[in-house]
Amino acid sequence: MKKAIAMLLAAVMLLALASFASADENKVLTIVAWDANTTGYLTAQKEAYEASHPGVTIEYIDVSSQDYDTKVAAMLAGGDTSDIYMVKDIPALLNWYEAGYTTNMNDFIANSNYDLSGFVGMEVNYAMNGEQIALPFRSDFEILFYNKDLFDAAGVEYPNNNMTWEEYKEKALAVTDTTKDIYGTHYHTWLSTAVNYTVADGVNTLVDGEYSDLAYFYQLIQDLEDAGACMPYTEISAAGLHYSGAFGNGNIAMMPMGYWYVATLITNIQNGTYNVKNWGLASMPTKEDVKAGSTFGNLTGAMINKASGNQELAWDYISWLCGEEGSKVTAGTGNRPAWVSEGVADVMSSVDGFPADEGSKAALLPTYVAIEIPGTEFSSQISSILGEEHSAIMTREITIEEGIENMNERVQELLGK
Amino acid sequence: MSGSAEPRKKRKMSRLERKNTLIAYSFLAPNFLGFAIFTLIPVVLSVVMSFTEWKGGSLTTMKWVGLNNYATIFNSAKVGKQMAENGFLSGIGYFFSKVDLGIALKNTVFFTVVTVPLSLICAILLALVLNRAVKGAVVFRAILFFPYVASMVAICVCWNFMLMKNGPVNQFMMFFGSTFNKSWTADSTMAMWAIVLVSVWRNMGYYMVIYLAALQGVPRELYEAATVDGANKMQQFFNVTLPQLRPTTFFASIMLIIGCFKIYDTVAIMTNGGPGRATKMLVLYIYNEAFTNFNYGVASAISMILLLIVLLGTILQFSRENRYSNT
Repeated sequence: MKKAIAMLLAAVMLLALASFASADENKVLTIVAWDANTTGYLTAQKEAYEASHPGVTIEYIDVSSQDYDTKVAAMLAGGDTSDIYMVKDIPALLNWYEAGYTTNMNDFIANSNYDLSGFVGMEVNYAMNGEQIALPFRSDFEILFYNKDLFDAAGVEYPNNNMTWEEYKEKALAVTDTTKDIYGTHYHTWLSTAVNYTVADGVNTLVDGEYSDLAYFYQLIQDLEDAGACMPYTEISAAGLHYSGAFGNGNIAMMPMGYWYVATLITNIQNGTYNVKNWGLASMPTKEDVKAGSTFGNLTGAMINKASGNQELAWDYISWLCGEEGSKVTAGTGNRPAWVSEGVADVMSSVDGFPADEGSKAALLPTYVAIEIPGTEFSSQISSILGEEHSAIMTREITIEEGIENMNERVQELLGK
Repeated sequence: MSGSAEPRKKRKMSRLERKNTLIAYSFLAPNFLGFAIFTLIPVVLSVVMSFTEWKGGSLTTMKWVGLNNYATIFNSAKVGKQMAENGFLSGIGYFFSKVDLGIALKNTVFFTVVTVPLSLICAILLALVLNRAVKGAVVFRAILFFPYVASMVAICVCWNFMLMKNGPVNQFMMFFGSTFNKSWTADSTMAMWAIVLVSVWRNMGYYMVIYLAALQGVPRELYEAATVDGANKMQQFFNVTLPQLRPTTFFASIMLIIGCFKIYDTVAIMTNGGPGRATKMLVLYIYNEAFTNFNYGVASAISMILLLIVLLGTILQFSRENRYSNT
């Protein structure tokens, strides 16, 4: 009997030791991201990293895209210990930094001889007071998507990489066929996709408290709406129509949108969800006094949560994700990595489903990318104010002039001007 | 001679009394702990936080700023200037038309003033109809109660579709000669009515059930006496039914007023405060300041204003409780 008990105890001890050993080997890295289950590059990055780093498992915590910043803020305020948080926009990152949720990566970068040159200077947008608090792994800029079949049917030339806004308007009107519900262009409800092109000149910004330059773009949209060349803002916002489905439906000729939409478009065309067959890319139109190929963009990055107990591993993942290997994986899914080299660029243009024409390839390399909204102490509040006035202008509850006057007055008051 | 009486000495508790007291406290403890952790401490912290500047994170970064947050939300500098230059009323007008807090207050009060009576009227009418021996009354009760338990997100999304430019509601109204041809949520006047409509529709089922229960308790003899006195149905309703329902109305109106001041989900899903600031409510304002702009101090200061309003409203109603109740 004693012998049996001893053997049983020994077996229990062995089992316990074995479980400790396996727990030590299997490290879990938790990453908070948006739309984790439906975003192709996140799956690809996870699979590639896990394959090259045996014993590490990546677990995504999925947060809805629409409420990402607010939900993440609540999670961080609640002391969440997830290792990495994906960064959607700079004002939110600035808030996380001020609240003390971010980790200074300077030492990690210095100690691992991490090469920052691939960012071509874009990483500075994630640096606050000399601290690198996040690194970008994607650099999405605004680009013009177009449906080649609709242009062919209307006998209108495809958009090119040197268009002005007036030429864009002419094309939109020419392709529009109200009898067949074909729209020349499409604007999503965001302020950025509607009027933020004003920052492409490198002079204007959305944080200076002066918004008279937005009037041109508001007038352009209202003219197009009145001509039936784009769906009214009121209907899009009331129906909650998502831009991806709108363009995918096949009755929209052009749509300004972030580069991230390339991956969604390719995936959905390949699996037969979208009606669009032949599509292309063109640089965003510019005003006549702005260099062709200028646009605005945003970075998508990752930061290490200060409350993470796994910081070394988190840095290892971020340095991989934002380096040559991770960038190739990201590019392989049709996305534009922030860290680019010749090898990465080759991968980008060779993605299955990417348009083969030279114009679309050339549009991959904009001549200038302004940051969508610079990170300042007031960026979030300015975004809120502009968003409120934007909705009032776009629903035509107030005139463009009134809206811009309100923007100027409210933001200048906030800035103490 | 009471002034010369010796102060009464505190009697020492017996062992049994002590034991009984401890048992009583142990029964109270779980409830009190829950109240303290989830209500009392956050409220006290919120009061303190309203006098500080804090962006979240470590508590050591909290900075005492006195009444600055209150000055910010009332925009006292601009409102004061308006008052000094153009008179008191001009300052008040500026506050309610330009300042976020003023606009949110105006919207919330308007929403409450309209929603509470409408919800009560609809609930009473429904309860009166279903209190009769109507065929299928149970099914109707269940159907009318359903919105209260259904997902708010689903409800709001459905209503957004119904209230679109070419949606069924506008089509129905056009049948009666309406010329309104815009999505309700995209119109600064109708957006507020859209939220009122959804809120009343959702509330009325719940309060109908409460009124139904109250109607069961109205003594039959009162109606018999009224009938003998020659009162018609309308007179019976106003002179018997409504007075008998006063305690229920008192309870329902307090709950509704508090609920209306706390409205968030319907607004966030249907209009997000727009167009412009047409449906910006107090709680949406608090949420945006706290979790979008990370101004926890400012958000707490707005919370204090909300607390004060709800508290004053409730005290006022309780002070009139006797009038409403039958006792």
